[in-house]
Amino acid sequence: MSRNASAWLHAVFDSPSDARDALEELAQEGLTFRDIEVRSSIPLEGVHPPDLQLHSRVPLMAVLGGIVGGICAFMLTSLTSQAYPMETGGMPIVPLPTTGVITFEGIAIGAILTTVATVLYECGLPRFRTKSGPLDHYLSTGQIVVAACIGDGESPEWVSKAIATERQDADQEDRTSSS
Amino acid sequence: MTGDRSREEPLFRPLTAWRPKLILGSLFTGAVAALLFYSWGYQIRNDIGVAGINRPVFWGFYITNFVFWIGISHAGTLISAILRVTSAEWRRPVTRCAEAITVFALLIGGLFPLIHLGRPWLFWFMIPLPNHRGLWPNFRSPLVWDITAIGTYLIGSILYLLLPLLPDLAILRDRHTADNPDSARARIYRFIALGWRGTAQQWHSLESGIRALAVIIIPVAVSVHTIVSWDFSMTLQPMWHSTIFGPYFVVGAIYSGIAVLMVTMYLLRRGMGLESYLNDKVFNNLGLLFLAFTLIWGYFTFAEHLTVWYGNEPSEMAVFTERISGKYARIFWAMVLLNVAVPVLVLSFPRGRKPWLTAIVGVGVLIGMWIERFIIVVGTLSLPRLDFTVGSYQPTWVELGILVGSFGCFALLYLVFVQIAPIVSIWEVREGDHHLNQVHSATEHPVLETT
Amino acid sequence: MTRWGMVIDTDRCTGCGACVVACHAENNIQTVGEEEAKNGRAMHWLRIERHYEGEFPDIRVRFLPVLCQQCGSAPCEPVCPVYATYRTPEGLNAMVYSRCIGTRYCANNCPYTVRFFNWHAGEWPKPLDRQLNPDVSVRPAGVMEKCTFCVQRIQDGQDRAKDENRSVTDADIETACSQSCPAQAITFGDLENSDSRVAQMAKSARASHLLEDLGTDPSVIYLLGGE
Repeated sequence: MSRNASAWLHAVFDSPSDARDALEELAQEGLTFRDIEVRSSIPLEGVHPPDLQLHSRVPLMAVLGGIVGGICAFMLTSLTSQAYPMETGGMPIVPLPTTGVITFEGIAIGAILTTVATVLYECGLPRFRTKSGPLDHYLSTGQIVVAACIGDGESPEWVSKAIATERQDADQEDRTSSS
Repeated sequence: MTGDRSREEPLFRPLTAWRPKLILGSLFTGAVAALLFYSWGYQIRNDIGVAGINRPVFWGFYITNFVFWIGISHAGTLISAILRVTSAEWRRPVTRCAEAITVFALLIGGLFPLIHLGRPWLFWFMIPLPNHRGLWPNFRSPLVWDITAIGTYLIGSILYLLLPLLPDLAILRDRHTADNPDSARARIYRFIALGWRGTAQQWHSLESGIRALAVIIIPVAVSVHTIVSWDFSMTLQPMWHSTIFGPYFVVGAIYSGIAVLMVTMYLLRRGMGLESYLNDKVFNNLGLLFLAFTLIWGYFTFAEHLTVWYGNEPSEMAVFTERISGKYARIFWAMVLLNVAVPVLVLSFPRGRKPWLTAIVGVGVLIGMWIERFIIVVGTLSLPRLDFTVGSYQPTWVELGILVGSFGCFALLYLVFVQIAPIVSIWEVREGDHHLNQVHSATEHPVLETT
Repeated sequence: MTRWGMVIDTDRCTGCGACVVACHAENNIQTVGEEEAKNGRAMHWLRIERHYEGEFPDIRVRFLPVLCQQCGSAPCEPVCPVYATYRTPEGLNAMVYSRCIGTRYCANNCPYTVRFFNWHAGEWPKPLDRQLNPDVSVRPAGVMEKCTFCVQRIQDGQDRAKDENRSVTDADIETACSQSCPAQAITFGDLENSDSRVAQMAKSARASHLLEDLGTDPSVIYLLGGE
């Protein structure tokens, strides 16, 4: 999390619908996706800050990686074979069918590597320095953790309201912390 | 969505503490695996001549094992990719253990071309490394295609195994950190989970990545065994030089892959108490896929032999006759029994698709598929076109040791993996449960329906 | 252009095996011993195949000396992953021992089964090591080898002709097998040179190639058909 000086409110939700409700309330309080982080142990459709546009360039990058990989493989086989002028007794030294086999594998490896690289880049991984949050173990049992940045000054009104509501509800836990 | 998490306990059991049974199993399989390295070391020290291969049977057990293990590697990635791409819900408990099979079978399969080399320490001559010796690989050789295809498939399947593993490693990290943040396990998982947080954007990217990899890996898997078959069909040898070999080998590979998946799943289910994940429905569905591939493989085998017999070309007929009624007839018909007759008779009936039955059929098919490769490799080589040089082949203890050791290696790698990562993908199963809950709750509260 | 070739007159061959012995001596081919020979590992770059025709006592034996056919379109060449076997400009199917890693793929794709693998390194117990030919390398274990058409003799003959500033003739080069054949069944020379003996003999009506239908374009021509 970037806002080191800020205080964060963490809350754990059992069901995605509760989490979605809370996110909508946060949005109504004027928080943008930059101030909210939703984490879960499974992918949840629709459970994210309403103003966050999820996007991924994986398909595009995979195609580009495939093109680059294929060109590299083709160039490698054809150019180096021509540069090492081996005697082949009249057989073609760069026959397209055999070069095509290697070009195909080049396309595949290019697409695979760029796909994984793009995923890691978009996820911001690897990030070894991250400390675990106070409620992270709830993730491992399948709950949803929502963290909201509540600024570094006084707590806004909605925070105290939220805490008050939570205290009434014995099933759910929450804590505030500053990191 | 929390629901009952006690179902997951058998998955976490080997991951939270040392389990004596698994340790003993690893030690035992490790000892068997050591047989491979002892035999190989002996062979390197005393030359390739300690194996039983000769002239004209220049390829024997090693290439048979190579084709066999590479075939098995089609279990995982290909099957899991097909099931993922088609969004088959019952895939969820199967994908991880299938993908692990792929990676380990490929590592072992990839070892055999090295084992079989006359001078294995010079294997890097086949890799295009700039050098001053005037060495360069011949890109027209099917062996160089093998290297590129198997290399691509190995890298692809390792990444395809690891990418969906990341969230599970994070679950383990959080669990261990909650128990004791300073324990060795907590530290290790903190490192290998790469700092995965499970935010909405991360999930979105990960899922796009898994989808893309699944789509890419299918043609790669097909190309791998096609190219393995081309090692044979690019030659002029009778009953190798066949256009059908590409698809025939791919089908055989998937067939043996499903067989090993059946056996592995049954052992996991029994050994780790995963009955609630690898349930009868999963075995039934995979059993049907297994049956389909029995029929396809049987059809290819028939087509391959019918055309040779009908064509009646002398050098091909020599090899054919030896298979049907000669030296190799006994194992040939054993193969037909194990690969066609038994699976069709057992798997056609719902009662035959019980887990233990599919596992037994799987063992039979594995033996049958190994025989198939052996007959193809040795059957053709022992009968060259010039009949003055007809030969025979008898494996030595070195070759047998390496074959047995390769199974030990596979089992060892698998047992170690079970102790590092959950063998059933936790998040994918949770996601499946969540979808189910959603369907239920959607009927109760239509408001919550999501797109 | 040069294309080295050989003509073998099977009607002259008596099957004496002198060529096999000469080949062993000339090319430092290892003798593997009884045990290994039984395992199918005997090494003879040149072998004499015996083919029987008819029933005893009305039986006829034909001998067919088979060696590397030095194919113009060799099946062994494209499959080698490391270019250890390739075609020289003079039409030889060359073998680079130091490049060979021992996949044995070339041997599998040779329809004539004339490639030999060093399952173990050769042994020449003293004083046999003193008879090794210094012009020919001794092969280590794990590499493929086969008939070279006595490439060391070809080299030598070409050098001599060059020193004397003339072109190579039939008299300059003779392979060990052709030199030692008492029936003069084997003739070696340049197929592209119309004056050479092999070029003349190749025109014979009895000329044919071994497994000609495979399209390997061999440089060894067999004369057969005479009674």
